[in-house]
Amino acid sequence: MILSAQNISKVYQDSHRSITVLDGADLQVKKGELISITGQSGCGKSTLLHILGLLDDSDTGTIEIEGVRVNSRHPDAPYIRNSKIGFVFQFHYLVEDLTAAENVALPLLIAGKKIAAARDESLQILARLGLEDRESHFPNQLSGGEQQRVAFGRALANKPSIVLADEPTGNLDPANSLEVWKLMRQLNEDLGQTFVVVTHDRELAKLADKSYELSGGKLTLL
Amino acid sequence: MKSIERFYLLRYIKSPKRMLMRFSFVFMVLGIVISVSILSAGLNLFEGYERALKTVLLDSFAHIKIESGNGRFLSREQLDRIMNTLGDKPEIVSLTPNIGINLMAIDSVNTRGCVFNAYHTAEGKELHYGKFVVEGRPQVNDGEVVIGHYLAEEFGLGIGDEISLLYPQLRRVTPLGVSSDIRRFEVVGLYRSGYYEFDRSLIIGTLTDARSILFTDDPFAAVEIKLDNEHVDKAKEIASRYRLELGADLIAYPPISGDLLRIVAMQKWLIFIVFSFLVLIAGINVISAVSTMILDKKNQIAILRTLGATAATVRRVINYQILLVCLIAIIIGQALGALLSLFVVKQGFYRLKGEVYFIDKLEHHISLFNLAAVFVVASILVIICVWIPSRQINRLKIIDLIRNP
Repeated sequence: MILSAQNISKVYQDSHRSITVLDGADLQVKKGELISITGQSGCGKSTLLHILGLLDDSDTGTIEIEGVRVNSRHPDAPYIRNSKIGFVFQFHYLVEDLTAAENVALPLLIAGKKIAAARDESLQILARLGLEDRESHFPNQLSGGEQQRVAFGRALANKPSIVLADEPTGNLDPANSLEVWKLMRQLNEDLGQTFVVVTHDRELAKLADKSYELSGGKLTLL
Repeated sequence: MKSIERFYLLRYIKSPKRMLMRFSFVFMVLGIVISVSILSAGLNLFEGYERALKTVLLDSFAHIKIESGNGRFLSREQLDRIMNTLGDKPEIVSLTPNIGINLMAIDSVNTRGCVFNAYHTAEGKELHYGKFVVEGRPQVNDGEVVIGHYLAEEFGLGIGDEISLLYPQLRRVTPLGVSSDIRRFEVVGLYRSGYYEFDRSLIIGTLTDARSILFTDDPFAAVEIKLDNEHVDKAKEIASRYRLELGADLIAYPPISGDLLRIVAMQKWLIFIVFSFLVLIAGINVISAVSTMILDKKNQIAILRTLGATAATVRRVINYQILLVCLIAIIIGQALGALLSLFVVKQGFYRLKGEVYFIDKLEHHISLFNLAAVFVVASILVIICVWIPSRQINRLKIIDLIRNP
């Protein structure tokens, strides 16, 4: 098991009321699976993904990554985020001041790879994603689809155990959205890469191996 | 340094236009450049003043003076003893017997207390004050004098004019009181050492005239010694040694007080401390720039943290960028400071008041030690001003950064 989440709950408090977004959600992800999670806006999909990615803490429950119990306050959390988990966000979150190749090289550099080695590796990743001629382009010189592919390249740079994608197609047109899904499927089949993808698009979600719906704070296998 | 930190640092250096030129840096850079240039210029000018004063003092004054212990003129036996004992000392450049008389220069309007000095210069040797005679000639015959240029200005005298010197003859008491003797001398040279007091009050004449004024046949009042450059800073110790060698009836002492130079050096470092506060004030802009930058870079901080960078690594990445800009600003400030001090020296509007500062000419000197001192102090202040606000990166939660980009 790559990732195991048990009884995850999360309650947001504001001055007037408390909102329960996760209420005992469970998720098991095996190596090589492509899993989608759907649900209505505001149902807690992104919150769940952030908790799974050790970016946020749950109020109850446990998370194990490759059999090791962890949370966002664990001393090794930065190392795990760097080496075991890849992230892709809706708004791609590329560093505007860095080129496509430099963006992809960031996780490698954080892991301690030498600058030249990280650059060579990032160029290979971009080539695999069909972006070899875009390596020196800055994010604002790339199309939305290209930016998202660079974001996938960055997520895959350290060959993580699992890639967590939060609405990766949420900001793209239908054609580019389909391209991104095809890319994930191709990486899943070619490299055996594990994905957990949060999306509000039920049609695209059906392209996954397993599809869950988050409703009432619980995950239900569709 | 970690790979990611080295990568960003190189990136800042390779693409300064894209990575370093930000509007929020403008006032930060200006503050550092201005404060560092003022600090550097102040230090350069004080260093120049200290060195010029030392040079003028060492050039104008004897380094060691030997006089009779009883306050009278040297006897022939004492003079011979001095010459025989010290004549072959390798550290001594010149050994000049002289007579010095306090008297007054007068005309119908002005009265000025002066010192009439007469030197015995060995045959074939240059007059040691010769290099300071800027107009006329240094050699004087009986009835001729070289006078300080400020004295000449005050009395409206030029080469060829006559100056009247008044000396009270204490031995000639009349029923009307002490009789005074007035002599007239022809000015044959003007003296400018840069030491204000000398340039205003020194008169150099012949030994014959000096003895005639004093009604004495005694040879000399004192012997003045100039040391070579290697020993000039040890004048006090050397004088003590000579005193032991010469015997108890003679006193040897350095007429230049080391305290003066020590006070000037202390003033220089006081100025340095005071002007360093300007850099600290400029540091407020640095604090503001760092805070603004952290807000501007929330996205990037979120990305780096999500990708596994620790808060400390992110802090260093941000700090290097600001520090690089600040270090460039410090270097520019130092260069501007050098130009500023040069301008102050070259400008013709302001001169030092000689009666206050001993010398009347502004000088500047750029020393490696001072450059390093300014650089180190400014850098430390800037590092502190960068470090304090950057600590807030530790308190930023990744999830807040992602949810509120």
